[in-house]
Formats: sequence, structure tokens, C-alpha cells
Amino acid sequence: MFAKDWLAAPHEKIRFDVKLVMILAIVAFLLIFNVFPMCYLIFRAFVNESGFTLDAFKRIFTYPLNWNALYNTLVTAGLSMVFGVMIAFPLAWLVGRTDLYGRKFFRTLFVMTYMVPPYVGAMAWLRLLNPRVGTLNVWLSDLFNLSGNPFDIYSIGGLVWVLTTFYYPFAFITISRAMEKMDPSLEEASKVSGASPLKTVMTVTFPIMLPSIVAAALLVFVSAASCYGIPSIIGAPGRLDTVTTRIIDYVYVGSAEGLTDATTLAVALMAIANVVLYVSTCICGKRQYITVSGKSTRPSIVELGKWRLPMTIAVGLFAIVVVVIPFATVAMTSFTKNLGKPLSLANFTTHYWHILFTRKGILDTATNSLIAASVAATAGIVIACVMAWLLTRTKAKGRHIPDFLITVGSGTPSVVIALALIMTMSGRFGINIYNTLTIMIIAYMIKYLLMGMRTVVSAMSQIHPSLEEAALISGAQWHRSFKDITLPLIAPSVVAGWFLIFMPSFYELTMSTLLYSANTKTIGYELFTYQTYHSQQTASAIATGILLMVIMVNWLLNKLTKGQFSI
Amino acid sequence: MASITLTDVTKSYGNVLIIHKFSEVFNNNEFVTLLGPSGCGKTTLLRMIAGFEKPTAGEIKIDNVVVSSPYHFVPPNRRGIGMVFQSYAVWPHMNVFDNVAYPLKIQRLSHMEIKRRVEKILESVHLSQYVKRLPSELSGGQQQRVALGRALVCNPRVLLLDEPLSNLDAKLRESMRFEIKEMQKQFGITVIYVTHDQSEAMAMSDKVVVFNKGVVQQIGSPMHIYNHPANQFVADFIGRINFIPGVASAGKIEFSGSQFMEYSGDKRGPVVVAVRPENITISEERGVLHGRLTQAYYMGDINDCRVDIACTCNHGDPALQVRVLTAGHTYGKIKTGSSLWLNFNEYLVFDHEEH
Repeated sequence: MFAKDWLAAPHEKIRFDVKLVMILAIVAFLLIFNVFPMCYLIFRAFVNESGFTLDAFKRIFTYPLNWNALYNTLVTAGLSMVFGVMIAFPLAWLVGRTDLYGRKFFRTLFVMTYMVPPYVGAMAWLRLLNPRVGTLNVWLSDLFNLSGNPFDIYSIGGLVWVLTTFYYPFAFITISRAMEKMDPSLEEASKVSGASPLKTVMTVTFPIMLPSIVAAALLVFVSAASCYGIPSIIGAPGRLDTVTTRIIDYVYVGSAEGLTDATTLAVALMAIANVVLYVSTCICGKRQYITVSGKSTRPSIVELGKWRLPMTIAVGLFAIVVVVIPFATVAMTSFTKNLGKPLSLANFTTHYWHILFTRKGILDTATNSLIAASVAATAGIVIACVMAWLLTRTKAKGRHIPDFLITVGSGTPSVVIALALIMTMSGRFGINIYNTLTIMIIAYMIKYLLMGMRTVVSAMSQIHPSLEEAALISGAQWHRSFKDITLPLIAPSVVAGWFLIFMPSFYELTMSTLLYSANTKTIGYELFTYQTYHSQQTASAIATGILLMVIMVNWLLNKLTKGQFSI
Repeated sequence: MASITLTDVTKSYGNVLIIHKFSEVFNNNEFVTLLGPSGCGKTTLLRMIAGFEKPTAGEIKIDNVVVSSPYHFVPPNRRGIGMVFQSYAVWPHMNVFDNVAYPLKIQRLSHMEIKRRVEKILESVHLSQYVKRLPSELSGGQQQRVALGRALVCNPRVLLLDEPLSNLDAKLRESMRFEIKEMQKQFGITVIYVTHDQSEAMAMSDKVVVFNKGVVQQIGSPMHIYNHPANQFVADFIGRINFIPGVASAGKIEFSGSQFMEYSGDKRGPVVVAVRPENITISEERGVLHGRLTQAYYMGDINDCRVDIACTCNHGDPALQVRVLTAGHTYGKIKTGSSLWLNFNEYLVFDHEEH
């Protein structure tokens, strides 16, 4: 039908079909910068000068190191996915649907973790659970009189722990968003039928949520599997390799063979991600329940009764362990003179904060990141708004094509996106944006567009079309109606969506590691270099700075939008 | 104050025909109701008049100006129409005043003029004391009035109402009926009203258009449609009615159970006798049909009775039940289970239709 419309156009009066042009523009962007590079990557993995070959695969998998990396990736990502969802679902329910004390505070706290670079968690837990001198380790062994230190962060377990505590917010956001949209009468019907609150959750809420839970699990898996910062900070000392760290090692080798090997491993990683994607769509393929009711009903609140206080304490403890302790550790590290000694007045310094605000390298990289992330977020949110309009307000043919491509793009491991862009955008095919900020902006958009888009789409789908029709019938033209009615109603979500693209782009590490040049280093990469090679304190100061920025922005927007801003 | 002329208006989505060749003229100041079961196409027709849907074929004129045809299409914002939506569509981020003032702001009227006209209209929809309230602080009925005020504030030529009362409780619904009707008289506008509730249609309309599956069944005044339904569907949809199958021959209609009634019409073969419950009287001595009283409910003003006829027929055949309404004060005069006679004061005979 798509093609037929296109062909039929010359016969009629030539119509300027805005919808079609928009769809084509977005599809063209995604085809050039997403689909084509991926296809080329796959092509290169199988084809060399002498034609089709599996040599690269054979070479890659003769190294036990690579098998090990593959095993580590699958195990850590798989376990993080399971634990992440197991944490996120009850948490989303408790925070979103019950009368837990301080729900709003907890929600902000958990969502904020999403806005913080995951490798900050690795930095913190490295300090806390170092097998010899980890603060928490020493404290626990003193407390319980243990012969040795109980935890070792340089292990698979340690990796899973950090990955889980920093990637569960992805699942938390996805699940709680779906939970807030659910028609409360579905649960009420179960209660009226005599089911207890727990039984209701297990027999009604959980099954209805299943598609979003699967989506959340997928998101955690792909994020954890393609994470570079955490395994490289924790894994390097413990000699734990993952596919991502191996790929980046291969790229750093610099030779043509190294690049081929990296490509081949990347294709293997992509294959894993695609298998997960395929399985998840099989599970929830026919299970797209319509749970959004036309009227904007407030989800009913479950009263926890005697469980209210114990549950609040449990959630509070979780927040302390997972959010407060690591963040406080990083903040404290940034003020510590000698890392070997505990923080005291004698060991206190603001030297590293001074560095943060004066060293040119840090300021320049921060500016680069600010520019790249702002442009990516702004361009991304414009696409998100157009997509939201196309998906919820029109029946334009082919509107699901860009939607699908955006989803696939986000599901692709960061390292694969970056590698594919390097291979295709360095002039070989007429576009040379290698070593520029543009290539990073494009990479960020492909990776993080989905979160922003989902936020705007969900806000838009909750606005009944009749609200806009009422403006039209009142005499407003469609752009006036958009400005007066639609925009004010979705504005908080648009702002939220902007930040959901901006923040991860701002501190992005994996793709930046591959795409940076001398003039386009990003703050994430700078921080990572300080952490690994120079000074943990400076890295901590940068991380704390990012943390403060997140808190400030959140607070400011909450004030500006009168509490409507929420992510 | 406008007439609406529809000529062969057709709407289809792919192969699904929603409205088939609808032609009719709605006159100045007429209160027209589009009535039919859900999915019959009445809302689609309303939305085509508003301009939210483009007809697949046909022409729509408002005051003899073409607003929709295959060659010409006037968007909703330039049709000068007021509309009340089923979900009210009151904007949640604007207070009552801003909601109602919106159409005037679009017309760039002066602040003074806007204030004057909004206040006037809020008075007539009884919302003067809620000017500063947000929609979330209003009840369903009040939100409904905001929507009505907004639709009326710039003196539209035509007012469209899409099941505006279906979300209100029964009592409010009845009082709103009269208010809307009053409003129509006061403002002297053409109203097109969509509903599936036949009693709303009866109470308010000058003209009722009955739809079924996209096809007009009958157009006429409520009284005409009630008393002279064009077919079984209309007879069944408007009010309550009994359908008694029989076979017509010269001079009589024969029912199962070898009962028959006199018949002077010219229909022959399988027919259906349609008779409204209030048009049947019960007699203990003599009548057209013989039956047995099986149920009688006292409703105050009336008694709602069920009479089994054809009870002398073969065992195994389901007894045919007829609903009869009798005056309330006669309750208990005939015991349930006793046999009686039914007389038809008014009835219609339709050809038997295969459903």
C-alpha cells in the first residue's frame, strides 16, 4: 500500500503529504546511520578479499579467552537480567501502587540511578568491596570477627552485583510506566471476586504486565551485555573479560586484522542480542493487552495495612545499600587525600574539586559532552514527538517502520553501533564524519532515542483525541491546537524524554571510547581515564559533579513544572 | 441557524461500508437525532458533518455552502460549528473560564468582549460560581456544562452533540435533556444529536433518523416513528413491542396453536403481527387471542405482565410469550396462572423477515 500511494501521486493533483515526508525522512536517517552500517558490519564479518569465509570466526573462537569472554557476558548479563527484574517488579509495584511511606521520594531516588553513569557504581563498589582493603569488607570482618574479608568484587559475583544495582532502574522505569497506565478496574474486579491483594498481583497484575516485564528484561540484558565501563573497571584487575572489553581491545590493536576480529565478535554479540529479542517477541507476541483506558483514571492505591512500615523499612534499606552507600563513597573519595587511610580532617582535601573546575582537559571534554548530548537530545526529542504524533494520531501507512527501526537500534549493543559507524562513516561510502562530534551525536541518538520516544508516546496516548478535536471545532488550526492543547499536556513528558536522552548521552563511555578523537573526547572517557590510569579522586570528583548536576536538574525541573516533571 | 444538506454521503474503510448513500436535509432550528445501536454509523456521520472524517463519496452543504465534496473540503476549524463530545473533552489544564473562552480567543476578540460573552454563557449553563475551577474539581455534570458552554459561546450555526449524556447518571440525564432542549430554543440553532438511547431521542427531537448497519431505516417525527415504524427493526428499536408470527390469508391471520385473528389487509403468507404492550387489553370473557397469565410485576403506575399464548399447541413447542402493560390499579384482579383473552387495540402487520 505504501508503494501504491507513492505511485498513484502523479495522477492526482500532486499532494504534499506531510506524514509521508516525515516518515520517509526518519526512515532515511535510520537507514543511512543504523541499518546500512549494521548490514555492512555483518557483511565484513563473513567476507574478506577472497570472498565469503568463516576464517574470522574460526580465528576468534580458537582463543579460549574469547570463549571465556562470551561465557562471562552471557552469565553476568543473564543473572543481572533475572535479578534486575526480580528487584524492579516488586519495587515498581510498591512505589507505584501502594501506600508505602515516601513513595515519591523513593521513586525519584531509583529513577535518578538511571541518570547516573553505571561505571560510577563500579568505582564505588571497588572501594567498598576490594578483597584486601575494601571499606565495607574491613568493617564487616571487624564487626563479625571474620578471619578474612567476606566479599571479593573482582569476581563474576561482584560483576553481577554492580551490573544489577545499576541496571535495574532500566527495568524499574519500564515496568512502573506500564503499571501506571493499567486500568485499575481490572485489579478491582479481581478483589471483588475475593482475591487477596497478593493473589491479585500474581494472577492479574503480573500477567498483564508480562509484556512490559519481558521488554524490561530485554533492556537490562542488552545493557548489561554491552556495558563497557563496569567490566573494564572491575574485570581488568580480576582478569575477567567480556565480549565488549574484548572488542574494544581488538579495535585498540589498530591493525586490519584487529578490526576484522572486533567486527566478528561484534556480530556474535549482535546475534546474542537478536536471539534475546526474538525470544521475547515470541513470548509476548500475541499478548498485547489493551490496558489503557480512555479516561485518565488514577490507579487505585493498595493499602498495605500492617505491612506498611516493614515494607517501607525494606525499601529504605535497599535504597541505602544500592543508592546512598555507593554515591556517598564516591563523594567521600573525591575529598580524600590518601586513599589508603580513612577519611578524617587530616586526610581531607578539596584539591580534586579544584582540579575539576580548572583543568582544561576536564572542562573541554565536559563542553564536548554537553554539546553532543544537547544536540542528540534535542534532535531525538523532535523525532520522538513526530513519531508519537504519527503513532497515536494518524493511520499513516508505514508509520511502524521507523518505530521498529528505532527499537532495533536501541536493542543493539553500544559497541556494535560504534564499530559499525566507524566502518562505514570514515569516507568509504562518501560520508566522512569520523573524528567529529557528529558521529557521536548520531551514535547517541540511535542508542537512546527509544527511551525518549516511549515517554512521549505514552503521554500522547493518554490524551484523548477529542481534546484536540474540540480545539479544531473551536476554530483553531492544527498547529494552534498543538500549541494550546497538546503541547501543554505533554510538556512534562517531553522534558522528561529530553533528559532520558540527554543524561546517558552526556556521560556515555562505550561508544565514546571508540569514536573519540583528540578534539572530541567526552567527559565519560576523561573520567574513565582518570579512574583507570591517573587518579581515582579526580574521577570521583567528576562523578560527584555529574551526580550533583542530575540532582540539581531534577529539582529545578520539579520546581519549574510545579511537580509535574517526572520520569 | 443553518440548514444542512447531505447528498449521497458515503463512508467506507477499505471494504467495510460505514454509511451508504445518505441523503437528507436538516432544516433551520431543527433538533435532529441520529439514533441507532452502537456501530451503526451514526457517530461517523456526525464526524463527517463536523469535518473530522472525509466522506468517501457525496456532498455536504451547510447553508448551501459546500463544506465537503470530492473536490472541496473545509476543515473543522472553518465550519463554524459547535460540538459536545462524548468524553466532554474539557481541557484539563485550563479552568472553566479559559475552556469556554477558547473559541473567542481564536477569533481574537477583545478581552472585554470575551469576558462579557463567557460570563453570559456561563450563566445560562449555571456555572457562574465555578469560573476559576479546574475541570478536575468539577463533577461529570458540571464538566458536561462546560463543554456545552464552550460549544455555544461563539453562536455556532450548528451544534453537534455526540452521546453527550451517556456518561451521566439517570436523574441528571433526564434534567439535562430538558436543559439542552431549552438551550436549543433559546439560541435558535440547528442541533444534531447522536444517541443510542431511544427515550432521549423521543423526548428532544423534531426529527429522528434511525440507522442500522449504516443504512437509514426511517426518518420522521418521534410520534410518526413510534406509531408507524417502517419495518420490524424500527418497531423493535423504538419502544417496546411484541412480534407474533403467523400466516396471513384472505380475512384472517393464523397463529400456531390454531388460534387466529381477523385480518382485512392484503398481505399473504408468513407475516409478523407487531403490537405494543400498552395497546393490548386483557379480558376474562372474550378477545382475539387466548392465553395464560404467567407473570405480573407491579410497577406503580403500570403492571408489566407476561402472557403465554399458543399454550394449547403441541407439547415441546416453546410457548410464545406476549408482554402486556395494564393500568397499575388493576394489579391482582387476575391471578397468575389463570387463563384470559387478549384484545389488540392497534397493531401492525409486517412481512416475515429472515434474520
